[in-house]
This record gives sequence, structure tokens and C-alpha cells, in this order.
Amino acid sequence: MSVDLTVQVGGLTLRNPVLTASGTFGYALEYDDFFDVAQLGGICTKGLSLLPRAGNKPDRIAETAAGMLNAIGLANVGVEAFCTDKLPRLRARGVTVIANIFATTVEDFAALATRLDREEGVAALELNVSCPNVDKGGIQFGVDAAAAGRVTAAVRAATKLPVWVKMSPEAGDLAAVGRACEDAGADALTAINTIRGLSIDVRTWKPRIANRTGGLSGPALKPIALRMVWELSRAVKIPVIGIGGVTTAEDAIEFMLAGATAVQVGTASFVDPTAAKKVLDGLAAYCAERGIAARDLIGKLAS
Amino acid sequence: MSELAVRGVDEGLGARRALHRVELYRRDSIGSAYHVLTFESETAIEVGAGQFAMVRSEAWGAAPLLPRPMSLLTGGHRPSILIKVVGEGTRRMAVSSSGEPYLLLAPLGRTWAPPPSEQRCVLVAGGVGVAPLLFLAREMAKAGMPKPLVLYGGRTAADLPLSAELGAVSELRIATEDGSRGTKGRVTELLKGALDELGVHMQEGKVYTCGPHGMMAAVAAMCAGRVRCEVSLETPMGCGYGVCLGCPVARASGGFLYACTEGPCVDASVIDWGHGA
Repeated sequence: MSVDLTVQVGGLTLRNPVLTASGTFGYALEYDDFFDVAQLGGICTKGLSLLPRAGNKPDRIAETAAGMLNAIGLANVGVEAFCTDKLPRLRARGVTVIANIFATTVEDFAALATRLDREEGVAALELNVSCPNVDKGGIQFGVDAAAAGRVTAAVRAATKLPVWVKMSPEAGDLAAVGRACEDAGADALTAINTIRGLSIDVRTWKPRIANRTGGLSGPALKPIALRMVWELSRAVKIPVIGIGGVTTAEDAIEFMLAGATAVQVGTASFVDPTAAKKVLDGLAAYCAERGIAARDLIGKLAS
Repeated sequence: MSELAVRGVDEGLGARRALHRVELYRRDSIGSAYHVLTFESETAIEVGAGQFAMVRSEAWGAAPLLPRPMSLLTGGHRPSILIKVVGEGTRRMAVSSSGEPYLLLAPLGRTWAPPPSEQRCVLVAGGVGVAPLLFLAREMAKAGMPKPLVLYGGRTAADLPLSAELGAVSELRIATEDGSRGTKGRVTELLKGALDELGVHMQEGKVYTCGPHGMMAAVAAMCAGRVRCEVSLETPMGCGYGVCLGCPVARASGGFLYACTEGPCVDASVIDWGHGA
């Protein structure tokens, strides 16, 4: 059985359309006990900043109906430790690495891109302009088309690597933000990041997470994400990578039919560390059964 | 030395973590709020005292979404957990029947550090915090070590699950807040007496504790500078294996440690007890 699962994301060919989402898969080295992550289309690292970040105070997570809120606060080892400690091991394992980067200024985004541009083994950069859980930066860039365009242009000028931009569902006009990133040289758009939510403990009358609000993820998010991917993919010419509640192969197929070129598995990895592998296996079986290539699904939503 | 299996978090050490598809073998109710769930696993799950599993029924569908971190009472082909009904996940577990399919991600986290072999140990348990301590006391009995002194506290006599099992492998002293069993008062008052009584020997001994945060903070404060103390942390967890970063606990030296991979068993002196877990 040979199924063609490869997809083209800008100039980058992925061995298949199943990736893992930033912030839900660590640095991918945590999976050695579970499965060979080099089989995946790629992994998006935890958001990397110029300096290490400790993250927010607890509690950081709270379960909600068919989903969860998180306000981790971009805890990460910093780009230097990533390049020194993590990347060589990922390279040795043959993992397709998408480095997700986060900064509070346009200049720092460019500096991160310059730093990662020197490294072998980074397949693409994903710009986190949509984190809802930090005081500065993050979502402010992602809800404003001009600001998102400026970040994209600065990174574009600093690296030859493919540049993906992760969209915020809180942008009033997502298509406008997407087009601004496209015009500034983005190779792909990732949609969507979490949506801010609130959960309250009725015993204490306090928010259930210390940051008060947190990003909603998981199956509860899927219909919204699917609709946004569908709209965004028709508004831009560059590929859209679908994310938001992908748990099963059927979810991945829905996103591709809606217009996604690839998908990212996020919260599902918390529930089952092998979730991404199961999505991949299920997608391969679906394509084999129908005698189609994975790319044949992209944007084929019937009316 | 003891026979306790100690596993580090570093890659390649100890038993591999794996997602085990198991069935509920039996559920034993202890009063209305507590249950022991015993599973049947085709593969033997190699577990050290203090380690935990992420537990989720396959019947749950998309809600409750996340697996629940549960300290393991036993491993092998019959892994078991002690639960107290506190929310939706444990409520579902408390009504599940034999044969229900579950997923167990295990073994997770760091074990208790091996107890000093010749010295008396004191185990301080509060409510469901008894689980990893019963595991430890049983391992110590198996290894032929001196019986630990176990101080077990609960709000009422109904909040002392598995006390009989504990009594079989330890010298057991009980405190309840309402005085319905054992000494009236808090378990930390028992500890004060026990430390005075054991006196000089405790310089070589060790205190192990698991229970509500306030109780563990009080135990840690009482032991500081006097006797080594190890705690088993309890926090909300998303994944249980180090990627969601949802289980930070403030370190005494600043920053956070993650209970799932750097704990749950850690030396009490590592924790900043002022900030809460």
C-alpha cells in the first residue's frame, strides 16, 4: 500500500500533513517512550523567546466542557538553550522542526529569526503573534493587520527560512490580518490559536486560573476553528495550516476539506501522547481506502 | 538497602512510560466518597512507590477531557488507585463497573527516595494522600525494613480510607479533627509528639508525607532543620508527562518545578511553601 501523503507548504515539502501544535508537545524529545516523532509531518516547538521564561504562577490550567483553559505564560528554555540542548538531538532523530518564536517587539522577533537562521535542522519558523496569556506582545500583534504585517516583514528580512504566522481568532477581520501577513512575505498561516475564556470556582468565587483568563483549546474549539480555516483559506493564496481541537483522523480530514494544507494536533496530545500518530495512521488508512493522495483533500468542501 | 525501584526522570532511566489499555477489574467502595479501583492490565506495569498514572475511561468521550493524575497503590498486572470523589472525573470513576475500558499512562514521575534502611521512618498521611505512603510502607515491609510509624489524619473517621491495610504494615496512630477516631486534632500534632519521642534517632531518620497542601506545609515546617522530609506534591495536571507545563510548584530557590516530571516526590526543602502549590 503506497499512499502519497506529502503536502507542499510554500517551498517546504512535508512528508505528511500531520504536525503537532506549539505548547502541546514540549520540544518533542519527551516522546521517546511513546513513538518516533520523525514520522510526523513536523513538530512545532514550545514558543521560544530570546531569554528563558519561567511562566505564570499556578494554577495555569482548568478543564472546561470538552476543552480546557490554559495560561502558561510562554514558559520556555530560551532560544540559546534550544539551539544547544534540544535541536542537535532533534536533528539526530530526523525530526522536521518548526521553531515557534515569541517576542514583545518587532526587533526581538527579527533577532530570534536571525539566530535560528544560522542553525541546521530548522525547517520553518512559526511566529506566535497570538498568545493571549502574556502582558506584552503576543495577541496585540495578531489582532492588528498592520502590526502583524510589520512583524512578518521584519522576520522575512532576517531569514531565508519559510515563515508561518499563527493567527489569533480574536482578530476582528482575520482575512485582513492574513492578507497583511501574506503581502509581507509569509509562506503560510496557522489558524487558529486559542480563544480567551474564563472559568470560575463557585466555592471561592475566584477565577480557576491565576491569570484570570486563559486560552480555550480542545474539541470545544473545533467548529469555530474549522469555520475560520475555511474563510481564511479562501481569502489568501498561501497555505493555511489548520488547528483547533484536532483529536482524530476525521477531524484532520475535515480541516483539509475546509481548506487546510496540513493540520496541527494540540490538546489531544495531553489526553493521549500518541494522538498525533493515531491521526496520521487514520489519515493514511482513509486515503488508501479511497485511493487518493492526502493533498487531494485540500479545500474540497462540497457545496 | 531497600528493594525500592527508584526511577529518575532522565531519558532512558527506569521503566518506560506507556499508554496501557486496561479494564476495570473491580471497584471497592470505602464509605460514600472513597473507592479503590483495581484494573487488569495485560502487560505488567513496573511501578515504584510514589509514582502515578494519568487515568481516563474510554467511555468519557470528549468530556471530561483530560485524564486524572492518580497515585498508584500497586502496579503489575493489577494496578490500582484510591480515589476520592471531588469532581466530574472522580464522580464518573466512582460509578464505573467491572469491564469498563480505561487508559492508564504509567509509570509517571519520580518515586520516593529510598528510606534509610536501619532507621525508623515516619509517614504522615492526610486523606487520599495515604496512597503513595501505603505503597511505600508495603515496600518497606517486603524489604524487611523496620516498621515505619504512620501518622494518619482525616476530618472524621470516614476520611481514613485503607487504615486497616496501613495498620498491617506499620505502627499506626490516628487523628481526626472531630475526634470520631484516634486523637482529636490534627495529624501535625501527632507528628510533634512523635518527633519529640523519637528524638535523636530522627537525625538519621526520615519523614515522608502526602496530603492536603496546608498539612504538608506544616509538616515541612516542623521537620525543617531537624529531620529530612520528603513530600509528594499534588497539583492539577494536564498531561502528566512534562509537556503542558500546567503543574508548576514554586521552588524555594525561585522559579518553578513541574510536579509531573520533577516530582511528585521531592525533598520538602526544595519547595517554597509560602506561595502555595
